[in-house]
Formats: sequence, structure tokens, C-alpha cells
Amino acid sequence: MNKRLLFSLLLFFGCSLSMLAQDRRITGKVVSAVDGSPLPGVSVQVKGTNKGTSTDATGSYAINVPSGKASIEVRSVGFLTQSFEVGSQSVINISLVESDNSLGEVVVVGYGTQKKTNLTGNVAQINAKAIENLPVLTTEQAIQGRAAGVFVESGNGKVGQGIKMRIRGASSVSAGNEPLYVIDGIPMTSNFTTNSPNPLADINFNDVESIDISKDASAAAIYGARGSNGVVQITTKRGKAGKTNFSLNYFTGTSEPTGRRQFLNTAQYVELFKEARANAGFSLAGGETRFTRYAVGERARWADPTSPNYTNTVWEDQVLRKGSINQLDLSINGGTDKTKFYASGSYSKQDGIIVKNAFERLSTRLNLDHKATDKLTIGVNASLARTLNTRLSNDNAFSTPMQIIALAPMSPVIDPRTGDFTDTYNGADVTQYYNPLVSIANTNNTTEVYRTIGNVYGQWNILPALSFRTEYGFDMLLRNDDQYNGKKTVRNSVNAGNGEAIKSVANTYNFNTNSFFTYNQVFDQKHDLNAVLGMSYQQSDRTAIDAVGRQLPSDSYKTIASAATKADANSFERRFTFLSYFSRVNYKFDNKYLIGLSGRVDGSSRFGANNRYGFFPSASVGWILSEESFIKDIRQISLLKIRGSYGFTGNAEIANFPSLGLYTAEGYAGTPGQRQFQLENPDLKWEKTAQTDIGLEVGLFNNRLSFEVDYYSKYTTDLLLDVNVPGTSGFSRQLKNVGELENKGWEFIVRTDNKFGDLTWRASINAATNKNKILNLQGQVITGGFLNRAVEGQPLSVFVGPEYAGVDPANGDALYYLNTTKADGSFDKTKTNDVNQAAFVPIGNPNPLWIGGITNDFSYKGIDLSVTFQGVYGNDVYNGAGKFMSANGDFYDNQTLDQLNRWRKPGDITNVPQARYVGGNGTAESSRYLEDASYTRLKTVTLGYAFPKSITDKLKLSRLRIYATANNLLTFTKYTGWDPEVNTDYLTGVAAGNDFYSAPQPKTITVGLNLGF
Amino acid sequence: MKINNKFIYAVAFSLILSSCANKLDVKPVDDVDAISAVKTSSDVEAILTGAYDSMTDGDVLGGNMQRDAELMADNGDVEWAGTFVAPGEIFEKSMLRDNNQAEATWLDSYRTINTANTVLANLGVVDAAKKSRFEGEAKLIRAWMHFELVRIYAKTFQDGNAASNLGVPIMTIPTAKITDASFVKRNTVAEVYQAVIADLTSAESLLPAKNGFFANKATAAALLSRVYLMQGNYDAARQAAHRVISSGNYTLTETFDLAFNNRTNSTEDIFATQGTDQDFVNELNTFFASSEYQGRGDIYVNEQHLNSYDVSDERGNFFYESGDIFTAKWARRIGNIPLIRLAEMYLTRAEGNLRAGGTPIGTTPLADINRLRERAGAKLYTTMDLATILKERRFELAFEGHWIHDIKRNRQTITKRNGNGTRTWTFNSPKLIFPIPLRETDANKNLVQNEGYQ
Repeated sequence: MNKRLLFSLLLFFGCSLSMLAQDRRITGKVVSAVDGSPLPGVSVQVKGTNKGTSTDATGSYAINVPSGKASIEVRSVGFLTQSFEVGSQSVINISLVESDNSLGEVVVVGYGTQKKTNLTGNVAQINAKAIENLPVLTTEQAIQGRAAGVFVESGNGKVGQGIKMRIRGASSVSAGNEPLYVIDGIPMTSNFTTNSPNPLADINFNDVESIDISKDASAAAIYGARGSNGVVQITTKRGKAGKTNFSLNYFTGTSEPTGRRQFLNTAQYVELFKEARANAGFSLAGGETRFTRYAVGERARWADPTSPNYTNTVWEDQVLRKGSINQLDLSINGGTDKTKFYASGSYSKQDGIIVKNAFERLSTRLNLDHKATDKLTIGVNASLARTLNTRLSNDNAFSTPMQIIALAPMSPVIDPRTGDFTDTYNGADVTQYYNPLVSIANTNNTTEVYRTIGNVYGQWNILPALSFRTEYGFDMLLRNDDQYNGKKTVRNSVNAGNGEAIKSVANTYNFNTNSFFTYNQVFDQKHDLNAVLGMSYQQSDRTAIDAVGRQLPSDSYKTIASAATKADANSFERRFTFLSYFSRVNYKFDNKYLIGLSGRVDGSSRFGANNRYGFFPSASVGWILSEESFIKDIRQISLLKIRGSYGFTGNAEIANFPSLGLYTAEGYAGTPGQRQFQLENPDLKWEKTAQTDIGLEVGLFNNRLSFEVDYYSKYTTDLLLDVNVPGTSGFSRQLKNVGELENKGWEFIVRTDNKFGDLTWRASINAATNKNKILNLQGQVITGGFLNRAVEGQPLSVFVGPEYAGVDPANGDALYYLNTTKADGSFDKTKTNDVNQAAFVPIGNPNPLWIGGITNDFSYKGIDLSVTFQGVYGNDVYNGAGKFMSANGDFYDNQTLDQLNRWRKPGDITNVPQARYVGGNGTAESSRYLEDASYTRLKTVTLGYAFPKSITDKLKLSRLRIYATANNLLTFTKYTGWDPEVNTDYLTGVAAGNDFYSAPQPKTITVGLNLGF
Repeated sequence: MKINNKFIYAVAFSLILSSCANKLDVKPVDDVDAISAVKTSSDVEAILTGAYDSMTDGDVLGGNMQRDAELMADNGDVEWAGTFVAPGEIFEKSMLRDNNQAEATWLDSYRTINTANTVLANLGVVDAAKKSRFEGEAKLIRAWMHFELVRIYAKTFQDGNAASNLGVPIMTIPTAKITDASFVKRNTVAEVYQAVIADLTSAESLLPAKNGFFANKATAAALLSRVYLMQGNYDAARQAAHRVISSGNYTLTETFDLAFNNRTNSTEDIFATQGTDQDFVNELNTFFASSEYQGRGDIYVNEQHLNSYDVSDERGNFFYESGDIFTAKWARRIGNIPLIRLAEMYLTRAEGNLRAGGTPIGTTPLADINRLRERAGAKLYTTMDLATILKERRFELAFEGHWIHDIKRNRQTITKRNGNGTRTWTFNSPKLIFPIPLRETDANKNLVQNEGYQ
């Protein structure tokens, strides 16, 4: 299309050309700035006239410039438009810089690629240029804020931990909502740990060439039963023929928490708790005894500010620290026309912002393509990674570092009586809760993963139009978890009195074959046909074994081998399989009209015998209006396209045997036993999502400015729902196909590419809104988290609970709205101090209304500046720990500073109830602990400088760039917790948007170097 | 390189056309499907063992039921210092509908009943020699669970009209699939007691006198004595207790402390959960023991309780200090939990004899009570009255999960200091009854919620 458009533009200019005398002839060659290859078909125009030409096959051009005209303008789709002063030159050689504008680019679709212009579906592409040299360790960090409609959330600031990705909202209640990850055509194992998986942690981000996210049905239906949550296709870099290029990248940096939270100091603590005890009728002496106990038996530590021992420990500072991040990466690519290769090695190490939290990765990759004959290409991709994560307990453990903030400020870090961390003394508890520092000092908790992902392929070009490709892929994951709880941790780990060693080994072998034919033919220059037909089989086997040993001679012995008691052992063995047949046909007529059809038949072992196979078709159409004669002549419009798609995808992310009636072994006191634990459901089948997508793409001024707007509606039926069954049956839940939900939304993208002299400016803005609503659960109410629910008429995971109504000025009681429904249907807003009288009503939504990002890239000569803002708007976060840390002195947990605003005397107007020790005054789960967690964040800002050729040539380098980057530098939010981007790591199911002693996100500043030679 | 075209065709088509369909028939390895699980007598025996395992789960008799009976009855004897929300609400006598302990206790109790019902439905494949015993054990387990449920989730038997007060659903058939019949209604309190008594009576006749650490004839009789006591049927209660005592199979341990923290049953254990390194929970240890004894130290004992004992009473010294004061009954992490001790039978027989009147069965109430006091080194009584017996029950059975039930059946009022005043709860206060779990009333609209939680 582009050539044709250019041709017509030229024709248009040519017709109005008026020849003038005294022309000067300028010649030259246009090449790509990336690899120096000649660029044919580039428009070269005399600025301020209609006079122009285009380059030939060798990239050469010749143009007559009338006298008095100072410059020429060079433009081509996919490249930045540039102008050049003619001056006295007669030869102007031009190297064109590729544009970030992706309209002319190729996107990865399942089992093939398509030009973006020909696409009838919606695929968000994050290409190499957008993320090149971004100093992040894992891929999802590069996606956040850069793809419309893709919500990425990292639940906390622990390194190497889980992520949450939602593409166009959540389509399921009980089945998985994470997208399918496909790397170089092979579905990855993405759910391999019991604790917060990050499937992308084992992939070296610098090996990633592009990320293509299939969002609508026509793009995702080729992945059929697994496409409902979208498909993230990661393509790794491949070799290019020519000179062998070495690229060395290094960066180093430091990180610190994005936020802190303030807690009471010793004087405030003493004041509040004395008051709380007095208000509840408890003796003063009892409280003072308690304070002295916390103060390692020394009253002066809390009572006498003049004492040298007076203690005021800021516990938060004991677990938050300055972290560090380092990565060294070397890649080599090159080859001949016959054999091309890409090889890389990378080492990274990250020390988290929380004590004893680290992540280390060593990875290598080799991607090889070899043309065996004219017709046969074979190749291999293989990556091997070893990651080592020094882990922390989940958020709901006394041993997790952030729970340290519950400790009283009068306790010193070190108890002088023991010389060790303040925790217990002579067997008796000193601190109210276990001190996590004891675990930091006395436990090991590591996860080591060896992962090999790769595939071998052969592609046979049977006929010029017909090819056959077969791929055999594997994702092998060996995981070792090692934990040792030292003797001193016994207060926390009840069985660690003489040491406890725990080890588990889990292996996941995931094999996949794809075999498919591709047919590509243009008939009569008007009929462009592209078809794919093939099959795929996947088998995933997981085995695990774990064992526990106790009674070790000393803390120097840390393994089960040394344990006198081999206390427990367990094993696990599971398999699932998928067998699929798929086809896709794309037809383009006259460069204007596009039709796409695709279908997939999927069978899976996970489903009931009666419904083993599902069929997932899709259809899509597109119309490139800018090719129509009535628009073609409008010079300003370079692209105008509308497209629409409708189709079905499925969701199979459930346990492996939910359709079977099962017994499980449950012994008692050494006697073997069993019991029924799952009811059978032979009718269990896929969850099906029907999705409609309508999109408009506009490119203006030679695509200098482009827009993309999409509206979609996803309607999911036969939800795979963990249905609550009456507990009297002996069962609590059963997986059934029940219910419907929908996601509707808009996505907007604006891009602009500009060049003003030596300054280029590219901007990309994306924004998306998604509205999720559960339509039907057959009356089921599924609860999760603290107040999350799945309930009809509301978005998934809506917060439902009593509505807090503040404090009674008369007596300091916490009040709640009754919110019972009155006869006229309105809520009764009468206030009550009995939370049990308050109806449970929707009080908030953890799902953002809007998500988006803005990226601005500037470059001027060698200097580049990139600024990305990312934000979410309209979501709430529930602080599940509010009842402990912001409980107006309900119990001895140290309190957030705002609790000093508690009600004290009649007439006080405040939102914090009267302090009452163990009085439960306002501590019930309610909207008191719910907050708006919208935020905007300066996600990345990078300033770089590439040394000019004159210097790099002297150094015998092809490239030398230095840069500094800041991640999460600024966060704008009203959320009062540590960080608004939060989702505690211990809750699952419908739980969402919960903060529970969750570590804040890191704010990272790095400096780095890119070397090419 | 020359590639044979035919070879490639062959590979391609074999990949596409090869029959992979059977690859989709994947069977679980770690679990077993229902048909192969229940084929033989030993399969059913395993299910019976599974029922014991389920019954002794932490949320059932593995400790939380007993803990909650103590917390809910508390009048200031103990302090709740834990962070778990659910027991905290129970302690405050201000449970919410969504209290997760109410949910867990309900679910796990009915899971136990369903497992027992599975045994009863499959007696057909059981060896003739074992049939009566299996039937007796399964019925006993089912009855025990129904009895606990009706005590926890319904008005106490002696409050108003048991024949019309709502109890809990009685389940007698194992669940194969969820049907309309699964959406059960609550039976009345009287119906539940009737079913419990029928099951226990049958179990007592079916069970052998000795059965290892599993339930036997005496276990059934002992449970019956508890059931009758709750009903105020003192004659039947004393007779049942007497049947246990007179079996001669149990004797009091020599000293009081020997009755606790054991790894094998003591001489006075009529039924106890069995502590093993694997798969064992002792939630009483979790909550009542300090961290020094591997507990969370969530429940410590106040002076008020400590001061109630006779100075010479060993039971009053069965506490330890570890920051706060804790009961020594649950100081062993992996220690058996006595669920029914012989001492309780003496107390029940004494109370039954006293309240039923007439000729005492076995011996006099005074002799039974003094037997316990003598062992504990406490001052002996010379006369006996009901108040003394009830106080003795508390001394002997404190922190073993009897308290709230004793308060309810004796129509006592809980008085507790609150701020500078006191709060009281009468025996029939709706606050002393668990809510039907919110999850259950959501899942089954036929269940009527309890008063105060609607």
C-alpha cells in the first residue's frame, strides 16, 4: 500500500509542478541508519515546492532543485521525515532514522507475522526501539504503561516476586486471569510455584526483540481455549547477516523505598496506650508493666526521656534499606546469508530494598538460523537461565520484615541482657510479637531455578507460496527451595527448637510441538491471500518432592541429612495435555478490503469426559479507506482504516483434574486413611469469551501524527466457577460452568513523530478504560481477601462491607451506616455503633477505571531523553492491617501517626474513634480502612548521550552511549500507605487490591553504558 | 544437504494426523477416583480412619472447638492477646456473620459427618467380623459432630422449646452430587438430640469394650452422659457415666499432671487425639501455650482464675509463667489432646446423682468429688451441694472446652468487667451462639440465620 500511496502522492505533486529555470541537480543515496542498507522508494522532495522524486532500488536518487530553494525533505513510511540544507552541495547522502511509529511494522500473530497495516485484530506491540536499553531486569516492567489496555501490577517491592497482568480486564472469577505467555512460538510454563510466580523472571530482558500482545478475539482466537486473557508473545533477537556486532551493556544503580509510613514514637505510644487502657477500665499498672517488659525490663527506657537509655526505635528503618541493582550483558550477532546467529550472556544481581531479599540471574542464549538449502531453513533457539532468589516470608507472617512495624518503639533493637535482637528473654516473650530480625539473622530461604526454554524448528519452502514449519519446543524448569530455620527462630517456627531444614524439589517439563503450513499468494495483483493450517500438542508434567528434617546438632548444620528426625515428606505428580488444530485465512482485496477468519479446535485433559473439545472461531474485517480514491488525494491523511472483529476464546487455567470425583489420602495417627474430597462433574468444559472489537486507525501528515481508537466488549459465559455448595454436603465448593461476566472498554493511542532540525521528538500516549461487571453467578456470592467479593451486578472483587460513618462526637464510638434497604429502595443512612447492624454494601472497587501511560522521547544530536509517566485511576486499596496498625490503641501494635487524632472528649470531631484497649472500637473490617489508590508515577526517565562517530571511530567502537535512568522517581497519590501499587502476596482467589504489611515498591536510580564494536 | 521430500511429507503428515486423542486421558496420580477408592473392606476402613482424621482437625476437636468454648464463656479468667480476628470476636462475644471460625467449624464438622456417612453407606463390602465395629464407630463420629454443631449453632436444649427451636441440619446420606436435596433446612434442636442419642445408643451396643485408641463402648456411653446432661436428663446422665466408670477399663492417673501432655493415652483417657510428628495439630497448644512451649501465647490466665483454687490444690499450680501466666494443660506441641477423661465421668455421676435424687448410683456425690480433690491434694469436703460440684467441674476441666456448655445448661450468667462497670450475658443470650456462617446462608437459602445475625 505504501508504495502506491507514495506513487499517488508523487503524481499529485508532479501534476502541479511548474518547471523553473536554473535548477541544480542533487544526487545521493538514502540508507537506513540502523544497518546502512539502501532504502528504495523513499520520497525526496524540494521543500516548499511540489517537486519531488523517489529513490530507486539501490536507494539512489537525483533531483533538480530550483535556485533559491534551500532544502530537501526526505520521507518514507516507518522512518522519521528529515530535511537537509542543500547549501552548495551536489551530493547529499542520507541515512534515515526509523520512526517509532509502528503503522508500517510487522507484528507477531500466532503462528506467523502480519504487517500492522493489514491487521484486522488488535495487537499491541512494544518493539525493540521502544524498550531498547531500558535498564530493567524483567520484561513486565517494560510493558507497564506502554501498552494500551494492559494492566501490570507488581504486588510489592520484594525482588523476584509475582506480577499480575490483566489484558482488557479479568474475564474469569475462579479460573486464571493471567495471559498466556508465548516465547518464540512456545507456550511457557507460567504457573509453576506455590508462591507468587513471575513467569518472566527467567528471561533476560535484553534478549527480547519485541513483545506483541494479542487483545481481541481475532488476534487471540488462534490460541483458542487459552486466549481469553490475551496472549503475550515474546520474540527474542535473531542474527543478521553481515558484520559481527558485539554489544556490551552494563548498568548499576541503587534503590530505595518509594514511601514510608510514620508510626508513634515512644512518648506518643505511652500516651495513647495509657489512655486506651484507662478508657477501657484497665489498670495503669498493667500497662506500665507491659511497657517495661517491651523496654527490656528497664522502665527508664520509656518513662524517662532524660535517661541515656531512653529508647525510641524506628523499626521500619531496621528492615528497609538502600538496595542495589547491577547487570552486565554481552550479545553478539552476525552471520552469513546461510547462517545467522545471535548469542548472549547476561548476569544480574539485585539486592532488594528490604533486608535479606536478593535476586540473581545468570542467563545465556543462542539463536541460530541456517539455510540448509534454498528451500529448507532450520534453526534452534535455546536459553539457559539460573536464578537465585533469596526470599522472605509472605506478608502474612510474623517473620516477614514489614511486620516489624508492629513492635513497640521503646524496645531497643538489641536486648542488652542477651546481646541479641530483642525478642525473648529466658524463654519469656519480651516483644509483643516475634521480631522478624531474628528470622533475618537465623533463617535461610532460597529458591533456585534452572530453566531451559527453547525450540528447534525446520521450515521448508515447498513452493514459493507454500511453506511448512514444524517446531519442537520445550520449557524445562527445575526448582529447588531450601529453607533452614535456626534454633533461635523457635518463637516463630514452633518446630525449629533444635533447627528445622526444609527442602523441596520441583521439576516441570513442558513440551510442545507446532506443525503448520503457510500459504502466501497474490493473484492478479488484487487478491492477497494468506493462510495457515496446522496442529499443536502440549504436554506438561510436574513432579515435586519435599521433606522436612528437625533436630539438628547446631545451626552450622542446615540440611536434612544432618537431622535426627526426618519429620515429614511429601510428593506431587501432575500432568496436563492440550491437543489443538488451528487455521487462519487472511484475504486482502485491492489493498483496501481485509477479511480474516480463524478457528481452533482445542482438546484438554483438564475437562470433563463429556466436553473434552471446544471450537473457537473468529472473523474480522478491515477497510483501508485511505486507499479509496476519494480519500487518497487528501494529502494530510496518510492512513485511515477501520476494522472490526468478533470471535470466541476460552479459558482453561484451572486445576488439572477438577472434573473427577476424587478421594485423597488422609491418615490418622500413623493409620492409613482416605476421604472423598472432590465431587465429580463430567460436564465441565471451557469458559468461553465472545469478544467484539471495533477499531479506527488514523495516520496524518505522513504518519507524523497517528491515532488509534478501539472499543471492545468481552462477554464471558460458562464461567469456570468455584461454586459454593452447602457445607452440610461435606464439601464447600465445586468447579462448575456457572455464570456470565462482561468487560467493556475503550482504548486510545496517540503517537507523534517530529523532527525540528536536529531535535526529534516522539510522543506516545495510551489510555484505556475497562468496566468489569458480573452479570450472573446464579446467586452465588464468593468471598475473598478481607472484603472482596464476586457478586452479581458488581465488578469482580468489589469491596463489600459495612460503611464507616466516622465517630460519634458525644462518646467517641465508631459509627457505621445501617445501609439497610428501605421500603422505597433507598439506603437507610441511620448511624449505629454496632457494626453487626450495618448491612454489607459495595464500598469500593479494586479495579482501575483508567490506566495509561505517556512516553516522550527527545533526541538532539547525541543526547536522548525519555520520560514515561504511568498511572491508574479510580481504584481502591483495602488495608487489611488497618485493624492492627490504625486501630486507635486497640492492642499493643504500634499505631500509625494519624491515630493520635483519636476522639478524647465530648464534642471532638474526628475520624479516629476513642482509644479503647481491646475495645474493638472501630476495628471491624469496614470502609474505614479503604482508600482511593489512584496514582500517577514518573515511571522512567532516562537521559543518555551517544558519543559522536569521530570519537567512537578513534576508540574503534561502533557505538558508545552513557546514560542515567530513574525508575519510580516520583509518585503522585492520595494513598497513605507505603505505596499505592500493592496487592499482598498471600491472598488468592477473588482477593484483589489488598495491602497487608506489603513492602513498598523500589525507587531506582541507575547509570549505564552501551558499547558496540 | 539434500533432503528427501518424501521424508518430510511423512513427518509432516504423521505429526498432523497421528492420533493424539488418547493423550487427553490423563489420570491423577496423587489422588484416586471414587470408583477405585471404595472396593474392599480395607478401603472402607481407610475412610473410617479418614473420618477420625477429619474429626480431630484443628477446627474441630483438634482444639479450636474447645478453645472457643472457653473464650466465649470467659468472665475475665483469661485474656485474649492474639491477632486472629475470629477467636478475638468470640472472646468479645461480638461475632460477625462472616467470622471465619464459625465457617471452618461448620465445614469441617459436616465434612466429618459426610465421611462417616460414606462408611455407613458402604458397609456392604466390609468383612463380617468388622461390620459392627465400623458401624458403631461411624455412628459415634456422626453423633459427636451433630452434638457439637447443635451446641454451637443453636439455642441450648434447655432454652425455651427444643421441639420448635431451630437446631442444625441432620445429615445421614453421603453426598455423591449436589442436588436439590442438598439444600437442606435446619432440623429442630430436639430432632438433633434425638438423632444423636439414637446414634450413640446404637454405637454403644455395636462397639467393643476395647478398640485401641479409637472409639469404643465407653466412648459412646461417655458422650451419651454429656448429651443427657445438656438435656437436664440427670438420671440418664449418671447411668451413662456410671457405665464408663464401672467398666473398670479406666483409672485416674496418679497425679493430676500425668493426665496431660502425653504421647500415648493416659489411664484415664476415654478418648484422646493422638499426637504424631506427621499431620497432627494441637490448636490448644497453639493458643494456650507460650512461645516457650511452641504456642502463640494468645491466651493467658488472669489472677482472678488463679486465685479461685484452694492453695493446696495442685490444679491451681498447673500453670507456668512465661512473660504472662499460661495453663500447663497444653504445654506439649505434639501431645495427645484428651477429649474425654474419666474425671469428667465422676463429675457427671456426682452431679447426676445429686440432681436426679434417690439412691445414688455407684457412690455418693461427695465420694466422687473428693476422689478428684484427693488426687489433686485439695482440701476434702464433708458435705456436697450442686454449687460445689459445678465449681469442681471448673477446677478439674478448665480450658478443656466444657465451660460455655456448663454455663448454658446451668442457666448461669456471665459477668465480666467492662471499663469501670460490668457487662453481663445471660445463658440464653444470642451473643453466646455462633452465627450460621454467612457463606452457608449465601449458599443455601433454606438455612435460617440465628437471632442477632440476620
